[in-house]
Amino acid sequence: MSHHPVLKFVPHVMPRNGIPPLRGLSWVCLAFAVWLCSPSTSAFAQIDFAHQIVPILRKHCMECHSGTKISGGLSLNDQAAFLQGSENGRIVDFAQPDKSLLLHVVTTDDTDFRMPPKGPGLNKAEAALLRQWIKEKAPWEPGFAFTRPAYEPPLKPRKVELPPIVNGRAHPIDRLVDASFASRQIQRPAGISDGEFLRRASLDLIGLLPTPEEYAAFMADHHPDKRTRLIQSLLNRDVDYAEHWLSFWNDLLRNDYSGTGFITGGRRQISSWLYESLLNNLPYDQFARELIAPPSIESRGYIDGITWRGTVSAGQTVEIQFAQSVGQSFLGINLKCASCHDSFIDRWKLDEAYGLAAIYSTRPLEIHRCDKPTGRMAKAYWPFPELGQVDPAAPRDERLKQLASLMTHPENGRFTRTIVNRLWHRLMGRGIVHPLDAMQSEPENADLLDYLANHLQEHQYDLKQTLEFIATSEIYQAKAASVSEESLQASFRGPRARRLSAEQFVDAVWQLTGTAPKKPDANVVRGKLDPSLLEATAQAMSATWIWGDSARDGKSPPANETLAFRTTINLLEVPHKAAAIISCDNEYTMYLNGKKLGDGKNWETLGSYSLTSALKANQPNQLLVVGKNAGAGNNPAGLFVEIQLIQKDGSRQHIGSSTQWEWSPTLPDAKGKYAQQPTDWKPAVKVPALDVWTQHTLQPAINRLAELNFDQDHMVRSSLVKSDFLMRSLGRPNRDQIVSMRPNDLTTLEAIDLSNGETLSTALDQGARSLLEKDYATTPELVNWIYSYSLSRPPTETELATALAALGDEPTRENVADLLWAILMQPEFFYVN
Amino acid sequence: MAFEIDPSTPRSIVRRDFVKALTMAGLAAMATGEPRVVRANSEEPLVHPKPTADACILLWMAGGMAAPDTFDPKRYRPFEKGLAVADMLSTFPAINTSIDGVQICEGLENIAQILHRGTLIRSAVQPDLGSILHSRHQYHWHTGYVPPQTVACPHLGSWMAKVLGPRNPVMPAFINIGQRLEGVGESEELKAFTTAGFFGSEFGPMNLPFPEEAAQSVKPPQGMTNTRFANRERLFRQLIDKNPHRDQLSDYQQQSMLRSLDNAYRLLSSKEREAFDITLEPKEVQEKYNTGRFGRGCLLARRLIENGARFVEVTTEYVPFLHWDTHANGHETVARMHQEIDRPIATLVQELDERGLLDRTLVIVASEFSRDALMEGKPGSNAGDQAAFRGDNISEMAHYGLHRHFTGGSSVLMFGGGMKKAYVHGQTADERPLIAIKDPVTVMDLHATIMTAMGISPRTVYSIEGRPFYVTEDGKGLPVTQLFA
Repeated sequence: MSHHPVLKFVPHVMPRNGIPPLRGLSWVCLAFAVWLCSPSTSAFAQIDFAHQIVPILRKHCMECHSGTKISGGLSLNDQAAFLQGSENGRIVDFAQPDKSLLLHVVTTDDTDFRMPPKGPGLNKAEAALLRQWIKEKAPWEPGFAFTRPAYEPPLKPRKVELPPIVNGRAHPIDRLVDASFASRQIQRPAGISDGEFLRRASLDLIGLLPTPEEYAAFMADHHPDKRTRLIQSLLNRDVDYAEHWLSFWNDLLRNDYSGTGFITGGRRQISSWLYESLLNNLPYDQFARELIAPPSIESRGYIDGITWRGTVSAGQTVEIQFAQSVGQSFLGINLKCASCHDSFIDRWKLDEAYGLAAIYSTRPLEIHRCDKPTGRMAKAYWPFPELGQVDPAAPRDERLKQLASLMTHPENGRFTRTIVNRLWHRLMGRGIVHPLDAMQSEPENADLLDYLANHLQEHQYDLKQTLEFIATSEIYQAKAASVSEESLQASFRGPRARRLSAEQFVDAVWQLTGTAPKKPDANVVRGKLDPSLLEATAQAMSATWIWGDSARDGKSPPANETLAFRTTINLLEVPHKAAAIISCDNEYTMYLNGKKLGDGKNWETLGSYSLTSALKANQPNQLLVVGKNAGAGNNPAGLFVEIQLIQKDGSRQHIGSSTQWEWSPTLPDAKGKYAQQPTDWKPAVKVPALDVWTQHTLQPAINRLAELNFDQDHMVRSSLVKSDFLMRSLGRPNRDQIVSMRPNDLTTLEAIDLSNGETLSTALDQGARSLLEKDYATTPELVNWIYSYSLSRPPTETELATALAALGDEPTRENVADLLWAILMQPEFFYVN
Repeated sequence: MAFEIDPSTPRSIVRRDFVKALTMAGLAAMATGEPRVVRANSEEPLVHPKPTADACILLWMAGGMAAPDTFDPKRYRPFEKGLAVADMLSTFPAINTSIDGVQICEGLENIAQILHRGTLIRSAVQPDLGSILHSRHQYHWHTGYVPPQTVACPHLGSWMAKVLGPRNPVMPAFINIGQRLEGVGESEELKAFTTAGFFGSEFGPMNLPFPEEAAQSVKPPQGMTNTRFANRERLFRQLIDKNPHRDQLSDYQQQSMLRSLDNAYRLLSSKEREAFDITLEPKEVQEKYNTGRFGRGCLLARRLIENGARFVEVTTEYVPFLHWDTHANGHETVARMHQEIDRPIATLVQELDERGLLDRTLVIVASEFSRDALMEGKPGSNAGDQAAFRGDNISEMAHYGLHRHFTGGSSVLMFGGGMKKAYVHGQTADERPLIAIKDPVTVMDLHATIMTAMGISPRTVYSIEGRPFYVTEDGKGLPVTQLFA
């Protein structure tokens, strides 16, 4: 029986002791509204649901409106139930918050209507908080429910029965989506054109605009399977694929080429390992295992996190960072709350966060609650013991291996669901579980999520297979749903338009204008090296570590000893390609024929220099290196130089530092010149290579030199260079924290940078110049080229006419640059539609 | 889900007089410096105080401004060979100021003349973070949180931009003058706090590293005439109109992109953009400010505030080992810094006052910590000594100066914006250690004071990743009420 008479009718409630409108604030609000046209999509609100609202609801409402108790048809147990309201409909009115039934019943003096029916009821402060909360559209923690069990995702993979085929759509994804649409009476969006598909697939899978040539070829192809073949061929472009997805992983694993922590050596990149893994499409389970239990130093940076100089809070030690990172990257769960105290919003406990941290820790780890020691020690613990457990007594490396295999355990459905959900989000604009790191909450379409997860597992954890599987579905190839502000959070109706990432935008500009930088910042081999070539290069390596007499008989040279080294290279003809690789413990400056090639102050970073244009034939080429030892007191020093010369016919010659080289204590001037040639040159002394030297230099040197052997026709991608002003402005994050989703809207400050920033306007100017140099037969041809490259379609007649009018009969560089800008700023360009 | 809020009602919150908002008990506790009860009672709605300032200028003395060589002079010993480091407290003699009985260091004569227009805090203290890396303390000072944090913390300017919005809709709310973020040491560390963090870039700083080039940043791109800029805009609009996929434009995000571009165009072609051009000032005014980049930045700040900016920071620029970051040659460097800041700060305060803007503009002069000749960190610190010269007695001029980082007591100046006039708050010891011995003010409470003056409750909270994130650490900051007029 209901004792809630108020719910039998819907009164027009006037606020009684409500808060008056904010007259005094009007100008502030107005200004704010004009400047800030869009609300940010980040997760925040003025009211803190977990700490301010939950206690009120729990205290006054839960006795009758949670779990199985639904007095008056009303459950407040979770968000969906709350929004659904009572048997009389919704209890909150976001358009007119003060008229919300909920507010009326908790504030009315009429004891017949008041809620809760017994006890003193809500005090004014509590009611005011509720009112404020409703004004803010009642934000609710994703997945939060009052009565346990709240939704608990199944741990193990779950078999999914496919619904019947509708209208001939046989793709499993379409069958699952059709069933869900049918149950929600949602109209399926129409399909997209070939051109739209080409642009979408290309940007999604390899992050690049299709070139006009690719566009023409694709449009000319009339085979029915051309879309599927395109998807496959895009995914087979290993380098393009790797360099696009690199940004996704750099965000998710917080890896970068510069950033906080590097300055004090508290952080290590995993760039080479990551790049190679993507290039070779390392199966995802192995990928995760190599990150969690690194087989070499190359992937260690992820678990080691960032060591900050000075003291840090207990919630930010490297051990806790480990727990947070592993939880977020691989399981999509947020352990940040639980690394300070038992989480208020989900089920994670302080001890679980510390348990995960203790797997990594090599020191006894005392559990701290809110930065205060508890006196209890953490014990290595994996939070899903159904799959097995880590042995706390095992050594650290062993524990990490155990964790790695538990994480990638075939029965760990959370692991696969988390990653397929991320990929679905990238291709569809919204996660099946959303936000992506709320994997503790209920998926919108559990069957679809589980099916994708199983599919990944059945295909040997091959992420490209998942991408192909999604991209070949009809729903992927459907028109993007236009989303209103109100429906931003609404459920899946089809793909959504996604803003180009900073990297996609910058790459597209570089494609259109030919202004990509010449050299990447990332130390990676941009292509797959033929193993035999690597082998041959390894065989040909000839350099030994050398130093002066102070290193004779295994002695350590003094700190700060600075010596000059030289060798002469005689050539009959100029080589087709030539490069030098150098490392010196601790510092070097290298000169060739009286010109400085470069210097390096960190022996761990290999220097590589092209010598192709600097070497001369038929005259001695003088190579001079000034090497300097560092440290305090005597310590090992050594110089390592490997030079590779490649002739047109592919034959190779190596010249390495050796005892044939000479050293002198007499140093040249800063320009590498001697006023008077020293007379004290002596043969160099071979120094036994330290293990760390070999570790840091030998394999990278082989890679770099082998790289010389294949021609590079790939444009340098923005994912390979350090973040710059424009990219930062467009949302490339500082990778101090893990980022799994970037903002999807363009802000005014970004718009200012796009409107007058030097980086973009210079690129457009240069691009315009080179376009004009291409000598188009007609101006319409030029316009056509720009449209087909940037939008994968020809201009309409009216667009063409507008563009031609703007360009004039004799287009100038300015005209072309402005047309480029006007097209780049079209939402059609800026969003993957 | 993302918590959406309606931006048109960012502060749908009851305002009351902020003094009323504090309980009498709380006031009493603060006045006596008693340990206080944290008011973070989650069942109480947030009440923003009534603002005493609408705009804020932070004059940032980057690199550690030594209080004993600026606003808190101690016993002066001139340079002499063999001077004991232990005897070096101040390397400048003291001069009188416009407040009776209050002295500051020689070299700051202009500021001395206007000191009565504001409040001088001599007891600001910072935590000892175990090891001094300037950018960590700067991060703390600018965000209120000690790095590292699990979320990207917003700069205090971003808090103001977020909670208050711009004062003038075409003016960016948060403008940051004088700091290069590329090509300087610790630049990554600087970027880490020069950001809106989790608020998103809408609330981030507009960075103007070179005041004299600021005009360029709100003009059409270099080399583009106004006519061409307008034509380009027209072409853009025509193409939008003729775009065959106009239906997509109903999409919320694509609409908002167009609005942002529109806002940008409005600023770049607005009258307000002239605010960015300091050459439009009379020559004699430019001259008054022109002691260097910082001085020109102060002039720019004044123009921006006049035209509706909400928060402007002007920095002497942090570059490791330069400017206030004196590891050697301290005395001579600080003498140069005096010159660089003295006239511009005094002129800025005076001009704001003359224009009737000072009452509602809070001007703050602060630094990440102070310096001392002998002591690194604070008494009992385990921070490593970073001074170049480590002898007991100095032998050359380069050793004369305060070359160690000191977190036990530093000075902060505040003018206008509801702060008291001719008031000195707190005190440091006259003999080493020169720690705050009266009314210490923490970074947290200083923030609470600044935010309170701006009408932002120190307990203002946003939820990010399920974590309540407060404008002052855990919402515990309390304004220093004695500072308010």
